[in-house]
Amino acid sequence: MSHKQGRRKKSEQSLEIPVTPMLDMAFQLLTFFILTYHPMPSEGQFVMNLMPAAPATDINAETSEATAANPDIPAALKTLPTMLRAGEGGQLGQIILGESEVQGGLKDLKTQLDGYFNDPTLPFDQTLIKVDPDLKYSALIQVIDVFHQAFTDAKKEAKLAFGELSPEELAAP
Amino acid sequence: MSASSSTEMSAEPNLTPLLDVVFQLITFFMLVINFSNDNYDVRVRLPVAGTARPLDDADKAVGQDRLVLNIDRDGHLLFTGKVLTQQKAMEEIKHQASLVKLNLKAAGVKLNATNDLPTTVILRADRETEFSSLFGLITACQANGFRRFALKAMNFE
Repeated sequence: MSHKQGRRKKSEQSLEIPVTPMLDMAFQLLTFFILTYHPMPSEGQFVMNLMPAAPATDINAETSEATAANPDIPAALKTLPTMLRAGEGGQLGQIILGESEVQGGLKDLKTQLDGYFNDPTLPFDQTLIKVDPDLKYSALIQVIDVFHQAFTDAKKEAKLAFGELSPEELAAP
Repeated sequence: MSASSSTEMSAEPNLTPLLDVVFQLITFFMLVINFSNDNYDVRVRLPVAGTARPLDDADKAVGQDRLVLNIDRDGHLLFTGKVLTQQKAMEEIKHQASLVKLNLKAAGVKLNATNDLPTTVILRADRETEFSSLFGLITACQANGFRRFALKAMNFE
């Protein structure tokens, strides 16, 4: 019995590795990562293909016979026009969709867009948003947000184009 | 001799569990740290939009070429930390487009008939930026062959 115990003692001899320097280094690394860590706010994005300005025509316009017969003639894109005028402080003042003013703000814009997007008799190639040069980016993003929702609900590809309102268009009532 | 050995008694705490925890913390910070946010200027306060889509894995792909344009509230382009005038901004966009074309040529990639560049222009404009400034930059990008744009917004305040 005593002989057995002696053998076990011999085999239980352990080698202790000093972990303190490793701990020091680990703390230094931890300090570095804590100091360089800057949590970024959650950012999203609206991805779109913006082509240069193309000839545009009204959404209700008929394709001319010459264009229909000859595929080499570039057809004017059937366009759903939207005009955004700036109000006080560059915020959203007036929205004109097609030819009529949207009275109920962004909520009404969404309802009207749903009507356009789900109407099979009104196909269009793009939606052209003509914007007041003074309009703030935050107001524009709110409108893009509504368009994006409408495109998603109608399961259509977002086809947007941007333009700037001319001084004549700005002066028009 | 025997007296000195009795005074040298020392208590050694077991540091191994502490080291385990510290290594776990280091692993956490190594995974969440993002060094690629250098293009994101903190001076730009983005607007808020609920349906703005977060970046997916395809957008983050290594091969995906991106050009980040930060625009401050006065409509100036912030590029590599510097505030550029409109003239300089136009020159910089042209320069970036020529660099993209050069890279594509070196990689043996042929452009389509309209010379559309595959790079996505990421516009990070301040919420107070006026549309005229933004439109000027978009038009300049389009004139240099950029077609794909991403307008940045915050998902929540």
